[in-house]
Amino acid sequence: MEILSAHDVSFTYPESSTTALKKINVNIQKGDFVVLIGASGSGKSTLLRLIKQDIAPHGKKHGSFCFQGKQLEEHAPLTMAKEIGMVFQDPENQIAMDNVMEELLFGLENLGYSTVEMRKKVAEMVHFFGINHLLNQKVSELSGGQKQLINLASVLLLEPTVLLLDEPTAQLDPIAAKEFLYTLQRLNDEFGITIVIVEHRLEDLFAIANRVIMLEKGRILYDTAPRKIIYELMSHETMRLFLPSPSLLYLNYTERLHIGDIPLTANEARSWLQKKRITSKESSEALSSSKMTKPILELKEIDFQYTKSSPPILHNLSLSVHNGEWLAIVGANGTGKTTLLKILGGILKAQHGTIKYCGKKVKHIDPKKIGYLPQNPKLFFMQDTIKKEFLYIANYHRLENADVRIEFLLDKFQIHHLQDRHPYDLSGGEMQKAALIGVLLVKPSILLIDEPTKGLDPKAKEIFGELLLTLKKEGLTIIMVTHDIEFAAKYATRCSMLFQGEITVTENTSLFFQENNYYTTVMNRITRNSHIPPVVTLEEARQKWHIIRDS
Amino acid sequence: MAHNKGLLIGISIFLLVILVSFPLLNNQHYMLLSFIIMLASFLPFMIRFSRRKILTRELVVLAILAAIAAVSRVPFSSLPSVQPTTFVIIVAAVTLGPQSGFVIGTLAAMVSNLFLGQGPWTPWQMYAWGMIGLMAGLLGKTWLMQSKLGRCIYGFVVGFLFGWIMNFWFIVGVMQEINWQAILLYYSGSFYFDLAHALSNVFFLFLFSKSWMNIIQRFKVKYGLFPTSDTEAQYSFKKFL
Amino acid sequence: MVRGFKSFHPIVLLVYYIFLIAGLMLYQHPVFLFVAGCFVTLINLLLDGGKQIKKWGLMIFIMCIFSIILTPLFNQRGNQILFYVFNNQVMLEGIIQGVMIAFTLFGIIAIFITFNMVITPEKFLFLFSKWFPQWALLIMLSMRFVPLLRRRLKEIQEVQQLKGVSVKNGNIKQRAKNGMLIIQILLTWSLEESIQTGDSMTARGYGFGKRSKYQPFYMRKRDLVALGYIVCTGLTVLFGWWLGDGVLTLLPILEPVWLQGREWFYLAVWLLFIGFPIWTEGKERLKWRYFRRTT
Repeated sequence: MEILSAHDVSFTYPESSTTALKKINVNIQKGDFVVLIGASGSGKSTLLRLIKQDIAPHGKKHGSFCFQGKQLEEHAPLTMAKEIGMVFQDPENQIAMDNVMEELLFGLENLGYSTVEMRKKVAEMVHFFGINHLLNQKVSELSGGQKQLINLASVLLLEPTVLLLDEPTAQLDPIAAKEFLYTLQRLNDEFGITIVIVEHRLEDLFAIANRVIMLEKGRILYDTAPRKIIYELMSHETMRLFLPSPSLLYLNYTERLHIGDIPLTANEARSWLQKKRITSKESSEALSSSKMTKPILELKEIDFQYTKSSPPILHNLSLSVHNGEWLAIVGANGTGKTTLLKILGGILKAQHGTIKYCGKKVKHIDPKKIGYLPQNPKLFFMQDTIKKEFLYIANYHRLENADVRIEFLLDKFQIHHLQDRHPYDLSGGEMQKAALIGVLLVKPSILLIDEPTKGLDPKAKEIFGELLLTLKKEGLTIIMVTHDIEFAAKYATRCSMLFQGEITVTENTSLFFQENNYYTTVMNRITRNSHIPPVVTLEEARQKWHIIRDS
Repeated sequence: MAHNKGLLIGISIFLLVILVSFPLLNNQHYMLLSFIIMLASFLPFMIRFSRRKILTRELVVLAILAAIAAVSRVPFSSLPSVQPTTFVIIVAAVTLGPQSGFVIGTLAAMVSNLFLGQGPWTPWQMYAWGMIGLMAGLLGKTWLMQSKLGRCIYGFVVGFLFGWIMNFWFIVGVMQEINWQAILLYYSGSFYFDLAHALSNVFFLFLFSKSWMNIIQRFKVKYGLFPTSDTEAQYSFKKFL
Repeated sequence: MVRGFKSFHPIVLLVYYIFLIAGLMLYQHPVFLFVAGCFVTLINLLLDGGKQIKKWGLMIFIMCIFSIILTPLFNQRGNQILFYVFNNQVMLEGIIQGVMIAFTLFGIIAIFITFNMVITPEKFLFLFSKWFPQWALLIMLSMRFVPLLRRRLKEIQEVQQLKGVSVKNGNIKQRAKNGMLIIQILLTWSLEESIQTGDSMTARGYGFGKRSKYQPFYMRKRDLVALGYIVCTGLTVLFGWWLGDGVLTLLPILEPVWLQGREWFYLAVWLLFIGFPIWTEGKERLKWRYFRRTT
């Protein structure tokens, strides 16, 4: 049964010469799980917001949407608020109330339910989500993943038939993101809620969805089943990066493609690989053991706690960082990754332990030698254009020839055309580049980065990764804290695991992930414990594998 | 409606004048009366806003500006007696209009008291900040608020006025007897704080009022918030003067 | 204690506090004020063992001493000169008034300390939302933002510190300036983000129809009984004041401080009224003590 449809929808933003959406026609069936994909600026978020008309952007709209056979405008606004639920990207900003209970009640109160009805509905929902223990908590005490689940529950309490989601996992760590997506799957499977989700992180989503719609420059390019679209996108320049790694592996090593055979999960890829015979190429046996340069930074026995009575965050931590390497520090939430970075950056001061810079013991590292790129680049900016910001920094540090350097970096990072924009009007990737320029102006020798891939789409991620790689080749030492295993596996020289405030292991990236059982990349999960040589990334497979024949 | 509003504003200003100059008029039940006068000039606005329909986004913006005013004290914890709350209320009121100014001022007082604990001063503080916001909003389009000098003058005056009203809870609630010397003594006790408040208002308004007003204005235009009603009130008040 | 004083319906509690504050301000008589002070202290002890009032202790003490010393110096109306200080006559009336001011001050502050323990923000908002729903919602939104803004401020401070913008460096002018720059970033950032909060509220149907309000509190029979008790004793207290009992006449002729005749009756009612939390909270205490002994 058709539940939601768009008929010839076009849309133009005010003061914009190009149309954001062109002649969109879609029919969504009841019980569909639809993923909307596309590069940034393709119009997918615009489309989603137009369906939710109360928060639709201003602009010129042609065509119409129908919900259950009637145009959206013909339904009462309150019915539409109830029937079409929406979850947004940022878990924090969606919350309006002070504690969890109030937040869950918020939508019900808007619809005018009585106290008795509200109690019953909330009781059911709390049971479904298993969030009884959170009910009396303040929202400020929740983790990002918990917040997003509360947002979802709060929308579901209105019993929507269609659920729209605008990049709901972009700000979550991988484990919370997975949990969130599985909840969506359950809602779709068990209750038949129709789901339309805009998402960049597609590793798990293709296996859950039954339909994928791809937009490009405001038009629908494909609208088909997940395997089919993977086949179509394998040669697409940017969208190729969005595909899940099991599928990419298949596409890379199969001559005669069968769309139905394309694996979507690690398990499917593993059974496909069983039919293959692969050996290692001899040349790559001698794995380029990166020669150890002199350590630029050495930490010994670092202890840190916020107050005397609070539990220690870092305890007896030792770490050495080599000159010119890219070190990734990984680990679960709350293990002290960001704290460690802040100590290196001189924001926090360790209570115990020593820091050596270039072999010399120092109290704290010279701030000019170290740059810190925060997790949220927004709070880096103070001026109303990015150029002004750079001049301010140059002026503060009394840099000579600042103009030349600013011009040089703007060109190098390809954001010269944005120099007079307000920082908040830039996209996530652009803002990050701008903040990075601000950090690099003083020519630091060590760059600290906190969670650089959060909220970036795969394309922006790749651009940023390559950019950092160039900087590394020019001699910059990079220390990165991240949850993004795939990103670390692709770019980092070495990886360190932080656990209980201590570095438990530091290893060359490839070795690090090969030795891990659970905390590792999808490629490694597919290939480990099998008859084929284990690899960590697709690139590594390309270098290492020698395919004999299909069995 | 506009007529109604003008009348309301006129009456409340009249009452404000009476209240502030109140201890000058010796009266038998000043305690009760002053409280009633305060409520009379205060409640109409509370009720008016309660009934007004405003956009959800506008509601959130008012809430966040009040919260900013309330937490703005935090970074200055190492600098005693620097009090930026009044500054935030004034610049927000000038840009968004009298009604919003009133709401932000009142709300900032209420919220900070809910976190720090209510006291007998709560209603007076709500009143003082609410009125500072209301007046700044009304004067928004006049010379006083459009020039930096004018804003600084306003900030200096309200810095003292705020202290004057805040001390009321003690005078009417505890002293009960209007006694000039005692009142003077009490006010001289708070003089240092009031002066610091007035001077920090001037300092912040002088250095930051322009950029803050630009930021709020840019935001207001970008999202088309608070379009007409309040600005109209500002212009009509300017004409009235 | 689930059934103690705090468990009554917020309206019952609010009415109690209104009568209590009015009574304290109206009964300007040393004996009435003194017993009120004792009872309020006892309520404090019952509610939290006197922890909160201890924090205020020094400040209350200093203010009381000041008013006892200074009032007689400035209030020189009266008939009974006791002694001279720097050629100023000190009257008995002045001293009595100073003592009454000190008692009132102590009483008000002690009452508000219990008020903050009893009327929690949750109950406060409940009361507010009954009469001013839009305001209550605004307050809730704002309260939700406060911890968020504090966290953002901390993040901003940490990042800006590396760029040299800090409230810890430089002279007072520079520090104040840096502090405001930090709040300015908070402003720009938070305004932008607040749009999303508004959208999420609209998406959940805010602003389309008449809102209902979840009622975490409802009136039970015991609440009504309590309300009846408070209103009856409270009104009697006010009536007593209207008759002129419980107010010490200082001028033109100082009335004897010790109570006479009918005043004893109103003192008793006054104590019955103030004591309401003591009866209810005390009963629970006894019950628990008994419970522990028998099990």
